[in-house]
Amino acid sequence: MSQVSSRSRLACFTFPHLALVLAWRLHPELTGEPVLVGGEGRGGRQVVVAASPAAWARGVRPAQDWARAELLCPLAVRLMVDREAVAELRREARLALASCSPLVEWGDDASAYVDLAGSDPLRPEESSRAAHCGRTLQEALGVTPSVGVGPSRFSAWAAAQLAAPGRVRSVPEGKAAEFLAPWPVTGLPIPPAVAERLLQFGLRTCGDCASITMVDLQRQFGPDGILLHRLCRGLDSARIDPWQEQPPCGVRRVLAGGVEDSESLRFGAAELARGLAQELSRLRRAAGRIRLVLRGEEESRSPSRTGRQVWWGEVAPPTPMALADDLMGPLLSLFSRAHPLTPVTVVELDAFDLVAPPVSQIGLWQGRAADREVVQRAVNRLHDRFGGGLVWRIEVRPGHPGDVPEERLVWSSS
Amino acid sequence: MALSSLNLRYGPGMVRTGAPPRLQGLATGSSSLDEITGCQGLPRGRISRLCGSAASGAFDLGLALGAEVSRSAAVAVVDFTREMDPGNFEAYGGELDNCWLVRPRCPEEGWAAARALAKVGVALCLLVAEDWSRLTPTAAPAALLTALAEGDCAGLLLGGRSIPAALKERICLELECWRLDWTLAHGDVCGLRLGTQVSRSHLGAPGASCRLQLNFPRPYQRRVGLEELGDLTASEELEEEPLQLVGASGQ
Repeated sequence: MSQVSSRSRLACFTFPHLALVLAWRLHPELTGEPVLVGGEGRGGRQVVVAASPAAWARGVRPAQDWARAELLCPLAVRLMVDREAVAELRREARLALASCSPLVEWGDDASAYVDLAGSDPLRPEESSRAAHCGRTLQEALGVTPSVGVGPSRFSAWAAAQLAAPGRVRSVPEGKAAEFLAPWPVTGLPIPPAVAERLLQFGLRTCGDCASITMVDLQRQFGPDGILLHRLCRGLDSARIDPWQEQPPCGVRRVLAGGVEDSESLRFGAAELARGLAQELSRLRRAAGRIRLVLRGEEESRSPSRTGRQVWWGEVAPPTPMALADDLMGPLLSLFSRAHPLTPVTVVELDAFDLVAPPVSQIGLWQGRAADREVVQRAVNRLHDRFGGGLVWRIEVRPGHPGDVPEERLVWSSS
Repeated sequence: MALSSLNLRYGPGMVRTGAPPRLQGLATGSSSLDEITGCQGLPRGRISRLCGSAASGAFDLGLALGAEVSRSAAVAVVDFTREMDPGNFEAYGGELDNCWLVRPRCPEEGWAAARALAKVGVALCLLVAEDWSRLTPTAAPAALLTALAEGDCAGLLLGGRSIPAALKERICLELECWRLDWTLAHGDVCGLRLGTQVSRSHLGAPGASCRLQLNFPRPYQRRVGLEELGDLTASEELEEEPLQLVGASGQ
């Protein structure tokens, strides 16, 4: 369960570029070799889309001119990017992360951010939640990501850069400035000219810059000075732009006007449960886990730095749920735990860990299941013997036009 | 050694011991009802019967059981009365896609259809009639029993006060139902509490009983069909409506 508040905690996942992941999938023998993946850049110019660590060590960088990259790394294996395959892999990875949290932002095909704030009954530790997300991403991509956890985007990203693949590096709460102190200014997301001037001033690390007041930095560098001040103290934005695509199975209801009272929200639980049960029935699946997301007003109306006020909670009962009755209990328990900070405008109920629907108790004792085709053949033989109109199949006529069975139901005897 | 040679000559299973085979039950969806039957449900390959006075709930209980079974297995309903509303079956949560409704024009057609569908392996064959004595040819029950055993299908008789001897002797399990009280809500009768007792059984001693809550299909019902109420206590067993002596003066 998560509740986005002013005390945000973000997890940053860094991994090889998806184009490179696909290249390694197609050519496993290239692992460890210098590989350049190229594609068409702006203006039709051929540029580097992704470079393996071995090529990176020789100075090749993404978005670099292809000819220059070939000069820097002449022995590299050169491949062209398959945009469609990359888009499909990106979608799979996004879906995998969305199953862990509704607040997921996809980066530049080599990084992703997930909001970790709040508590989860199954994974009370922040690091265990981050590790769970990392494992999920690893399963989707087939490569091991590095995970960093911090109070802001940059501190989380910096922690991920320092973490080894498969490890979680966490920035302690309230100690972001100390954590970032040894970080070189050349590694900050600031214009190169600003970094150059900082070096000329003898300011080589974040710790050096943090000792200077924001006013002095602003006087020297303008708006970049304010950004520099925030970056060095781990006070940069914690806002993430969540991926908005709906999970494969879910219902979403927009409320007419914000609703503040969670008791009032509970009145809609039955309708939500019915809606999700219909979706599950359509897919012939049962949900191993459901997630309730309550979205609130936009940022402009709230003091938080996050994009939207969002409360979300999950529950995973011991048996999969397929019917509205099964969903009601867990859903009501989620509503009872809900504490939205602002009036709720959107309610979402999503299903995850979809499995085949459980058979009822009767199925456990079923000796010999009748094949429908076998029964139909027997019915056909009966009709041959006794004439039609003996065995009937019944369907409910849409709209229920009357009370008489012959009108209300559709009878067929074929 | 003689048995081994016979089995070798004519195939395994030629000679068997006389112990009765252990019956499998077709679970009803109600654990308390399953427990009193002696085989954890309606006996497969056998004939069972639900009986009771008018408004006892026996017929609705049978429909609810059929609906429960149809959610996961095929059910054949042989309606000798030709008056049963299959919409009620659907209202109890039954899966009409798993249901074959037989409306015979004469008794022979109904029994033949029941045998044919039981043989191909439907899980439950529900037979509905008002008067079994008029509808039952002498050889029909034995033939049905054979077909049920062959298809591992549970047969369930509903309705009818008088049962002919040929049919009665082949009923393996008889459950008697009586109404304990109605359940009222929203100014409407929305269900009933009923007691169920094993009045006759080939599987064990009769007498076991349980209480059930049967919720009628109503738009406001949260759950339709059977609900557990636990064991029947002796005091509740005596709660049946007393006879009304009309016209007798109090003395």
